[in-house]
Amino acid sequence: MNKNLDAIFLYPLPWVDDEARMFADTARDWANKEIISDRLNYQKNYQELFKEKRRILSVDIGFQRLVLAEDNGGFGWNTPSSAPGIMNVFSEIGRADAATGYVTAIKYVIFATIAMEHNMNKNLCDILAPQYLADEIKTLSLILPGAGRTGEETPLFMGRSIRARIEEKEDAFILDGEALRPMGCGADADLFCIACADSDRQPCVAFVPAETKGVIKGEPIQQTGLDACRNADITLKKVRIPKENCIKRDGVIMEIYIWLNLLLGGVSIGAAMNFHEILDEWAESRVIKGGEPMKENPLCASVLAEVADDIATARLINFSLSHIMAQPDEWGKVGDKGIYTFAQMIGSRVQRLSLNALNRGMELMGSAGYAKEWHVEKHWRDIKTIQSHLAGLASNAPVMMDVSRFFYNSPEVQK
Amino acid sequence: MKNFDEFSRPMEYTSPMDAHLRSAIRNWAQKEVMPFRRSFDEDWLDHKLIEPAFDKLMGNKGLGIQKALFPSEVGGWGLGQSDYLFRVSLVMAEELGRADTGMAVASMVSFWPLITITVSPYLNMDLCRQIAPMFVNADKAVFAANAMTEPQGGSDVENMELLKGKTLKTTARLEGEEWVINGHKLWPTNSGGVSSLFGVPCTTNPGSDDPNAFAFIFVPVKTPGVAEGNPYEKAGMAADKNSDIWFDQARVPKSYRAHGPGTDKDAFYQLISMGQVASCGFLTGAMMNMYERLYTFVSTRTYNNRPLKENDAIAGIIGRIAGDIDICRILAHEAAMIGDRRNTPYGDPIISPQTIGRIRNIKDFVSDRAVDIIGQAMDVLGAYGADREWDIEKHWRDIKIIQLWMGGKQLCQMEAARWFFNCETL
Repeated sequence: MNKNLDAIFLYPLPWVDDEARMFADTARDWANKEIISDRLNYQKNYQELFKEKRRILSVDIGFQRLVLAEDNGGFGWNTPSSAPGIMNVFSEIGRADAATGYVTAIKYVIFATIAMEHNMNKNLCDILAPQYLADEIKTLSLILPGAGRTGEETPLFMGRSIRARIEEKEDAFILDGEALRPMGCGADADLFCIACADSDRQPCVAFVPAETKGVIKGEPIQQTGLDACRNADITLKKVRIPKENCIKRDGVIMEIYIWLNLLLGGVSIGAAMNFHEILDEWAESRVIKGGEPMKENPLCASVLAEVADDIATARLINFSLSHIMAQPDEWGKVGDKGIYTFAQMIGSRVQRLSLNALNRGMELMGSAGYAKEWHVEKHWRDIKTIQSHLAGLASNAPVMMDVSRFFYNSPEVQK
Repeated sequence: MKNFDEFSRPMEYTSPMDAHLRSAIRNWAQKEVMPFRRSFDEDWLDHKLIEPAFDKLMGNKGLGIQKALFPSEVGGWGLGQSDYLFRVSLVMAEELGRADTGMAVASMVSFWPLITITVSPYLNMDLCRQIAPMFVNADKAVFAANAMTEPQGGSDVENMELLKGKTLKTTARLEGEEWVINGHKLWPTNSGGVSSLFGVPCTTNPGSDDPNAFAFIFVPVKTPGVAEGNPYEKAGMAADKNSDIWFDQARVPKSYRAHGPGTDKDAFYQLISMGQVASCGFLTGAMMNMYERLYTFVSTRTYNNRPLKENDAIAGIIGRIAGDIDICRILAHEAAMIGDRRNTPYGDPIISPQTIGRIRNIKDFVSDRAVDIIGQAMDVLGAYGADREWDIEKHWRDIKIIQLWMGGKQLCQMEAARWFFNCETL
């Protein structure tokens, strides 16, 4: 059987150019050499061990600078046309370790809000890139709208509560917010990107260095997965930031969701593809019913088929999303409602498919799928954690509202 | 609905022990487990937090459930000889599972090998007299394990209908007045240094599918020639330790065989249905606790500035979650009652294909629903779903193995097909 993942999980080749394929190969080499070949040694203390692996990927190889314009010392992948290639790279990272993919994706998404060609904020790029994309590895964290608290009446983004508030005061902005939940890395973050609402209740995005006075990190939260990415709730008490650290642009929060769905979809697909590799080896070597190879049993084969089907479908539809994003003249800009809707819809589906692949395939591995030794359970926990974080709230009900609002022209549905 | 206990259960099925046992275990859980369970994952190897709670559940200075199966003549509760063995087991499993499914599994698997000698009509009083003292006289928790799974073939041993034990590689050879056991087992609950006693399915004639070749033999852990590996690290179920076990010329008295040729297989086969009914209880217990935590979240967090539970779309999701718990609990009680009807004119023997097929089918269904809805509940919590603090993610990690064990989903499907469609060659 062909063990080349790209040859069995087909994807639209013309959408990924030679340069993008080269980057993906580099990411695959990093994954194989730095992590996959030595996994048994990484069962404990992921956070510290993977920080070094992330440094190699981000700094030595330089992937943290993919999103920057060449003027800023980046790779120049700062246009939506790079979406298929960048998604492919994140699948390779996720194949090794979803947490590394997750942290790296968040960094890319945050910088995408200021570095993308059509929305370039050169001033902020010049300020932030040297500090957070330099030789020392830095961690970025993202706080998005989500669950509100009863008794609180907050500004909303598509029904989700924006719990951080920002107010203009003379030459600066002041931020406040209580027990805000980052998408990840809150405990270790050097810089926060926070969705907040201004005095007109309009959404905007603020960049807040973690060492700023009034930024209070809570205790690290123990979580299901993404062990290399320690989270903590964040409280902001009259946090003062320069005016240029705030972006008030129509669609900026949608842009963040769009990129997140694409890249975290890539990460989960990568983890699921590595699970396929492990399951393939298992099904080939395992004998059941007193002599029959597992993969030759029709019932087991049907489960294997579902696993492959889910991963292949997830990969194809995520590539479709990347292609839609890469064609702004055809479908609209990243940040438009239509693209946002497709990103939410496809992103949600990709996570469900990836998790289902793991859930079904684990059935065939029995206890081995549950033991840390085989590494399957880690992929399973990581994908589930990404899915919960990405959904953000109330399972996919808000996503369904987003989709329904767009397709059926019902603008008042949980706006 | 006032609380989780109002999820449906057929009250006609209630046994005389239900109310007292539920109350006792629930109080124990509230005091000994709930305050500490979020730290159990880090305690998976040492059991410093977990062990004292086990002592208070299983030992004589606590609730003493480890003596439940034994006849009263040897100091037990006589549960194995009662008409409500399965129903009481379900109650225990549910209350324990609500607190921690790992603790539920570890404590109740101690019953598992003992079922072969304590449950009518397979009561072996002589062996009960020999084995009971280690359990009924102990102040601390005493564990037993059913050393069943083997390295190659996994749960083949549970597929008795098809394989009849012919894939067993662990052998028993009679030498004078002793059995000599050789073999390698994987993954038994309560291995890795926890148990005092193993029940070992093995063969007296390797490769044979003759039911007379199947033997079930008790092996005290301290027997020379018995060795255990270190516990495996897993996704969850920290209170349940699992490891490799090796038997190298391990010698035990001849009387430690559960019964004898032919009968051992039948007595052992009872374990399948008992294990599946207990699994249903673990799952409904975990689901009910998930409901408790979910209730708090959806009542205190908002979408569109209204409580989550007051939004029609979200209500559709959580309504389905609660509805599934309700249905699963009814089914779990029905599975238990199928077991307890075994001695009635309208019941079927516990090792009959219809009983095994029906109970496996219910367990398969309840497992699937539990995995699905506990995962959905995590998604309802969104960015908080993966937090240990909300307890739901722990249940999600813990219960996945319940779906996978005892031959997993596929064997459940085969047993169901065999019964419902009279399949003859599966």
